[in-house]
Amino acid sequence: MLTIKNLHVSVDGKPILNGIDLNINAGEVHAIMGPNGSGKSTLANVLAGREHYQVTAGSVAYKGLDLLDMEPEIRAREGVFLAFQYPVEIPGVTNLYLLKASVNAIRKHNHVDELNAVEFLKLIKEKVALVEMHEDFLYRPINEGFSGGEKKRNEILQMLLLQPTLSILDETDSGLDIDALKIVAKGVNTVRGDARAMLVVTHYQRLLDYIVPDVVHVLHNGAIVRSGDKSLALELEREGYGWIEARAAAQP
Amino acid sequence: MNPTTEPYLTQYQARADTLPGRRVNWLQAQRRAGLARFTQVGFPTQRDEDWRYTTVKPITVKKFHGLNAAAESAEFAESAEHADLQAALDAMQIKGLQSHRLVFVDGVFAAQWSHSQSALGVPSEGVTVAPLAQVLEQNPHWIEQAFGSVKPDKAHGFTALNNAYSQDGVVVLLAENARPTTPVEMLFVSCAPNGCAQPRNIIIAGAASKVQLIERYVSVNGKPARDKNSAAACTFTNSSTEIVVGETAEVDYYLVQTQSQAAYHVCGVWARQARGSRFSCRTITLGGALVRNDLGVELAGEQAHCDMFGLYHLSGAQHVDNHTTMLHCAENCSSREWYKGVLEQRSRAVFHGRIKVAPGAQKTNAAQTNNNLLLSAHAEIDSKPQLEIYADDVQCSHGATVGQLDADALFYLRARGLDEAAAGEMLRVAFVNDVLNQIAIDELKQTLETMLAARLTGNRLSSHP
Ligand SMILES: Nc1ncnc2c1ncn2[C@@H]1O[C@H](COP(=O)(O)OP(=O)(O)OP(=O)(O)O)[C@@H](O)[C@H]1O
Ligand SMILES: [Mg+2]
Repeated sequence: MLTIKNLHVSVDGKPILNGIDLNINAGEVHAIMGPNGSGKSTLANVLAGREHYQVTAGSVAYKGLDLLDMEPEIRAREGVFLAFQYPVEIPGVTNLYLLKASVNAIRKHNHVDELNAVEFLKLIKEKVALVEMHEDFLYRPINEGFSGGEKKRNEILQMLLLQPTLSILDETDSGLDIDALKIVAKGVNTVRGDARAMLVVTHYQRLLDYIVPDVVHVLHNGAIVRSGDKSLALELEREGYGWIEARAAAQP
Repeated sequence: MNPTTEPYLTQYQARADTLPGRRVNWLQAQRRAGLARFTQVGFPTQRDEDWRYTTVKPITVKKFHGLNAAAESAEFAESAEHADLQAALDAMQIKGLQSHRLVFVDGVFAAQWSHSQSALGVPSEGVTVAPLAQVLEQNPHWIEQAFGSVKPDKAHGFTALNNAYSQDGVVVLLAENARPTTPVEMLFVSCAPNGCAQPRNIIIAGAASKVQLIERYVSVNGKPARDKNSAAACTFTNSSTEIVVGETAEVDYYLVQTQSQAAYHVCGVWARQARGSRFSCRTITLGGALVRNDLGVELAGEQAHCDMFGLYHLSGAQHVDNHTTMLHCAENCSSREWYKGVLEQRSRAVFHGRIKVAPGAQKTNAAQTNNNLLLSAHAEIDSKPQLEIYADDVQCSHGATVGQLDADALFYLRARGLDEAAAGEMLRVAFVNDVLNQIAIDELKQTLETMLAARLTGNRLSSHP
């Protein structure tokens, strides 16, 4: 579903991703771990189409399409979803208003009839119940004044509503208490399926107890330095990232 | 001889005998004082500190005729053609709003489009609404004390001119404890090409009264039957409103400026607040080629509170200058000022917010914010706070921002499937929404929301120069 080849990315002339190769098949969940500043969010944002980043080499194919050639909104409409590490506060626009605009933009793109207000409300209320949010949050400005955990839950609400083909979760577990983590994981697991894939960025193997990954990658200095099954996450939890530094130092 | 003031002085001589209230001595004294001051100071220039960023040349070089225009449009209003004006006014209604409504066309009272719950000048629910000219002829003592008492003495030339020249406007009197259930709407229509109107309004809110006031300025193309496809008429309005807010009274006042892009408006609004009163002043400016608003509030009694909100959305070559003065003269008063603007194309806005805390006005709490969204590299904003604090136990804050649309927010919306235009539109609407949400009259809020949404969408921009 997603094939990243030799992806190089810089910001303001500074190289951040240095040749990423990654292949995710339909039905798979991949986890990306790695120290702060290693480039995890950069990768997530480049996949979602953030313009600030310059792709200097490499390619990304998504469902056979050239992902890097698509506008961010087209990616979203084609089923790419990024749950932001830092969801943006937008005063003056209610959650509900955005969600309806979003659902209908995607439906229109896919030649499906747009939902009217009643149909939409019914749908969104189901999803709100799934993430155990209070319905009041629908009528509040997007993320404004939400706690860290509430923002993350709001991202998952959007994911549940949009039913993306490729979900990229950037540290959605950070800042969640244990109950919230379970709720979020439950939500995430409902969108798993044979036709869907997921890229989960996290610092904690704890999340992976609930969202069990098929593959775990370690990102360091903008490159994937190791991949393995879910036991790799346990190893990282035990040993930290020191061994990567050591290996990097040992290499000429 | 000053070439810019001369035509106004000559016209004044010619019409002095036709002005209402000729036998009212106190009024005549005020007219003479206004005339003397206007003769002395003339129109302001950019050498005046208060006019540094705004030139009034576009107004002073033109020949506006007050008298003829007014007479003609009165005639027009009565003529068969007025069906067109009627239709245009209907289209400009605030949908669904029930109000005491007084309409003036080019400064002349238009009785046929005005209505009140009772006859004009007769109280209903403790409120009396009447045209100023009628009050000056029949009951000048109603307003003798208040008239001219709120305006600043050292007023600029426009205000002085209005003092001398004004002939009609709205009088609103609220008895003690009066709480009318419908707002009072003052609608000023500019119509005749090169017409000049100088409305003068006075609102006296008795103790513990509560009222909502809407002062609206609109344009209608004059003589539609004669020249249908003509561009909007160039008009000049020089208005003046005084508001006396009695003890613990609550006055909710809206100034709504949606004139054509060929209209000039110099507007003064002055309020004095007695103890424990609340005054909210919300200025929405969408129209006008050149608009200057002088808004002055004097917190004269203890524990008074003033909210002064403003919203401007400008495009083309519009120029809007909001000059606010918040005078804290008594203890324990608070004021909150919040102006927001969206500037497109070559438009220009000025915000000058003066806060003065007089000696003895302890425990003053005054906050001022001005946020601007600049959507074009050619748009310009000059935002300037001016704080003069002569008391020591005071909390004053001010802040101004000038920015473009937030790139993070734009990306967030696009990542949810909205295209760039829709995302931008949503953010522009969001920017103005928090001020719009302060509008307590639902019908007005909805009308303005619709108007703004239409203006803030891409469609309008493409059809605009
Ligand atoms: N806009 C930017 N301008 C300059 N440097 C940037 C920018 N965005 C990212 N970087 C740099 O790129 C590197 C990678 O950042 P990124 O956010 O991708 O890291 P991360 O792996 O997500 O870290 P964390 O675990 O802390 O979230 C960092 O050194 C960061 O400072
Ligand atoms: Mg990150």
